[in-house]
Amino acid sequence: MESELQTSGVTSNIMPLAFPRGKEKFCELCKREAYLQCTRCRVTFYCNAEHQQADWVGIHERICHLLVRMRTPTELIDHAARRDDQLRKAELIEICRLVAQSKLSEGKYEEALPAAHCCLHTSIDVHGPNTVQLLPSYLLLAEANMGLDNLAVVAELLCQAKWVVLKHPESGPLIQQQLHRSLGRFHAAVGNLEAALHHFANDVYFSSEEYGLDSINASKGYFLMAEVFVRQGKIPVARSLYSKVAHTWHKHLISLLHHQTEISHKRAVSSQSFYEQSQRVEMDEMLRAMLEFEQKQFRRDAAQIALLAHSLAMLWFLGGDLQKALGFGTTALQASQQITKHDLTEPVQRLLQQVQSLQPGSGSRTAEKQRH
Amino acid sequence: MKQKESAESFRNEPVSDPSILSRKEIALYRNCPKQYVCVEMLQDGYHGAFSELFSLLRSDQDQRTQALPGSARLQAPPLEDQRDKLETIRLHLSLAEKAEREGAWTAVCEERLRLGRYFSSHQDFRLSFHFYHSCADRERGGRSRPATEARLHLAELYRQHGDPEEARQQAEMGLKQAEQGGWLDSDGRPLRLWACRELAKSCSLLGEAFHAEKDFDTAKKLLQYGSKMALEGEDRCVEGEVLFKQGLSLQSLGDHGAARQAFSTCLQIFSELQDVNALVRNYKAMAKSLESEGNVQEALWLLEEAANTCRSSGLRGELADVCLHLGNIYCHLGQPKRACEYFLQGYKAACSTGDVTLLQKAQVKLGVTCAHVYVGQYSGDMQAASSTSVKRLVSWKETRGLQDLFPDLAE
Repeated sequence: MESELQTSGVTSNIMPLAFPRGKEKFCELCKREAYLQCTRCRVTFYCNAEHQQADWVGIHERICHLLVRMRTPTELIDHAARRDDQLRKAELIEICRLVAQSKLSEGKYEEALPAAHCCLHTSIDVHGPNTVQLLPSYLLLAEANMGLDNLAVVAELLCQAKWVVLKHPESGPLIQQQLHRSLGRFHAAVGNLEAALHHFANDVYFSSEEYGLDSINASKGYFLMAEVFVRQGKIPVARSLYSKVAHTWHKHLISLLHHQTEISHKRAVSSQSFYEQSQRVEMDEMLRAMLEFEQKQFRRDAAQIALLAHSLAMLWFLGGDLQKALGFGTTALQASQQITKHDLTEPVQRLLQQVQSLQPGSGSRTAEKQRH
Repeated sequence: MKQKESAESFRNEPVSDPSILSRKEIALYRNCPKQYVCVEMLQDGYHGAFSELFSLLRSDQDQRTQALPGSARLQAPPLEDQRDKLETIRLHLSLAEKAEREGAWTAVCEERLRLGRYFSSHQDFRLSFHFYHSCADRERGGRSRPATEARLHLAELYRQHGDPEEARQQAEMGLKQAEQGGWLDSDGRPLRLWACRELAKSCSLLGEAFHAEKDFDTAKKLLQYGSKMALEGEDRCVEGEVLFKQGLSLQSLGDHGAARQAFSTCLQIFSELQDVNALVRNYKAMAKSLESEGNVQEALWLLEEAANTCRSSGLRGELADVCLHLGNIYCHLGQPKRACEYFLQGYKAACSTGDVTLLQKAQVKLGVTCAHVYVGQYSGDMQAASSTSVKRLVSWKETRGLQDLFPDLAE
C-alpha cells in the first residue's frame, strides 16, 4: 500500500473556497478546467486522475517540492527575490530536461512528455517565446512524439525549431547538432533516407566540432547513419561505420572500467546517477543492435563481435548485472579466440575473472569450464 | 468527380523543377566550405576520409594559433577557407576509402600519392608530407609502386627541408622496393634510377655535413657511396654535382692530386652538359688545388679559361670574382701592373652586377695595387732632390689618372 502511494502521489478535490475568486485552475497537462489538486505541493491541478498519474510518473514526483515556492504568489517583489526565483526556475528546467532525456533514452516516450512540456513552459516563462533557449524543449517534445509515432506533431515542432535556429544564426554548434539529429530521425522515420543522411552527416560534423572526433556523441550520429545505410542496402558502408562506433565505445568503456576500479578501491559502493543509468540502457540497446547485425552477416567478423561483446560485458559489469556480464564476456572470449592476431583475449579473461570473483558459488565452476 | 481526381493527382505530384535548389546546392551556398565538404563526405559514407580531413584542419588551425604574428605560417590563408583544396582532398580520400573497402590496396596508395603530388607548392609542404607518409607507411600496399614513389618523394622533401639523414633512409628503403618491384616511373624510366639519384643527393649532402663537423672518414665514405649511386642513377648532372663535392672534400683534406682527378672528370661532365656555372666553379676549384701545389702557371691558365667562359656567357658576378682572384695571384707574383689590369676588369664587371660588397672589394684592391705601381714608378723622383724631378712630379699630379697605367683607356 505504501509503495502504491509512492508511485501515484496523493490528490484531493479542489476546494473552490480555498482560493481567491475568479482565478480558475487548469490542468497541468491539458490546460482544461481542473478538479483535482496535488496534496503535497497544493499548487498543481489536474482535470482527472489519469492526467495526475501521468504527470506524477513523468515528472511531478521529482519537482513537486520545487514548485511550492515557485508558484506561491508573493507580494513583495524585490531584486534578490526575483533573482532567486529565476535561479530556481533554471534549476527546474535543467531537471525537467534531464528527466525527459533519460526517459527518452530508455524508450519511455509517453512518460517523457510531461517533463518535456514542463520544460517548455518554464523556459517560455523565463526566456520568452521564440527564443533559442526553447530549442532543447522543442527537440525533446519532438523526440517523444516521434517515439509515439505522432509524425505530424513532430514535423510542426521541428519546423518551429528550425525557424528559431534560422532566426538566431549565433546559436552554437551544440544546438545545430541537436536539431540536425532530430531532423535526421524524423526523415528516417518518414522514409526520406537521403535527407536523413544529410542531417545525420551535419549532426556528426557539429558533434565532432563540439566534442571531438572520437566522442560518444559523434559516434551516436554514426550509429544512426549506419542504420540508414542498412536500409539503403549499403551494407559495406554500414559495417565500416559500425566498426568505427564499436571501437569508440569499446575505448570509452575501457576507460570507464578503469576509472571505476580506481574509485572502488576507495569506496565500496559507487553511486549511480539516474542519468547514467538511462545512458546505459540506450548504449546497451545500440551495442546489442550492432552485435545482432554482425551475427546475421554471411561472413562474420569475429573481431567486431569480440569487440562488441566485450563492450557489453563491461557495460553490464559496470551496471552491476553480473549474469549478463558473464554471458557477453563468454561470447567475447569465444570470438576473440577465433582470431589469430588480436589482443582482446587477455582483457576479456581479466574481466571474466573479476566477474567471477564477485559472484560466489557459481563463479568457480564457470571458470573451470572456461579453462577447458 | 474526375476533375477532383485530377486535382488530387496534381497536388500529389512531387516537385522536381530544375529551377528549385536542391539540398546540396543550398548547403553549398549557405555553409562554410569546411562544413560543406565534411558533410558531403559523411553523407556518402566516407567517415574515414572525414576524420582524416577533420584532423588535418584541426592541426592546421592549431599551428596557426601557435604561430607568432607576422610569421610565414600566417601568410597563406587557412586551409579551411580554400575550397578547391578541400574539394581535391575530398575527392581523392573518398576514392581511397572506397578502394580500401574493396581491398584494392594499390589504388588506395595511388590516390594518396596523387594528393601528395597535388600539394607540391612550398606553403603546403605539411600536407604533402602527410599524404606521402600515409601512402608509404601503409601496412597493406606499402610495398606497391605508388608507395615506393611516395617514399622517393618523401626523401626529396626531407632533403629539401634539411634532414638528409631521414632523406637517406627513405631513399634506401625506396631503392630496395624499387629494385624488387622493377617498376617504371611516369616518364617510363625505371624507378630504381630515380631512387639512386635521390640516394646520391642525400648522401652527398650528408657527406658535406660530416665534413663540416670534421668527421672526415665518414664524409669520405658517404661521398664515395654517393658518387657510386649517382653513377648507377645514370644522371650526369647529379654525378657531376656529387663528384664535385667529393673533390672539394678531398681538396680540403689536402689530397690535391685526387681532388684534381675528380675535378677533371667533373670538367668533362659539365662541358657535356654545358652547365656554365658549374664549369666556372669547377675551374676555380681546380685552380685552387694547382695553386696550393705550387703550379701557378697552370692555375693562371685555368682561371683565364674560367674568365673567358664567364665573358662568353655573361656571368658578370663570377667574372668579377675570377678577375679579382687572377689579380691577387699576379700581385703575389710581383706583377702589380698586370694585377691592376685584372682588378680593373673585375671592378667593371662588379659595377654591372650591383653587388655592393663585391664592388667595394674590387675598388679597394684596385686602389691599393695602383698605389703600389705609382710608388714603384715615382719613388726615384721622390728621393732625388733635383728640380727636374719635382717638375715631373708636379706635371704628373696635374694630369694623373688611370690612363697612366692603362694607355688604351686614354681617348
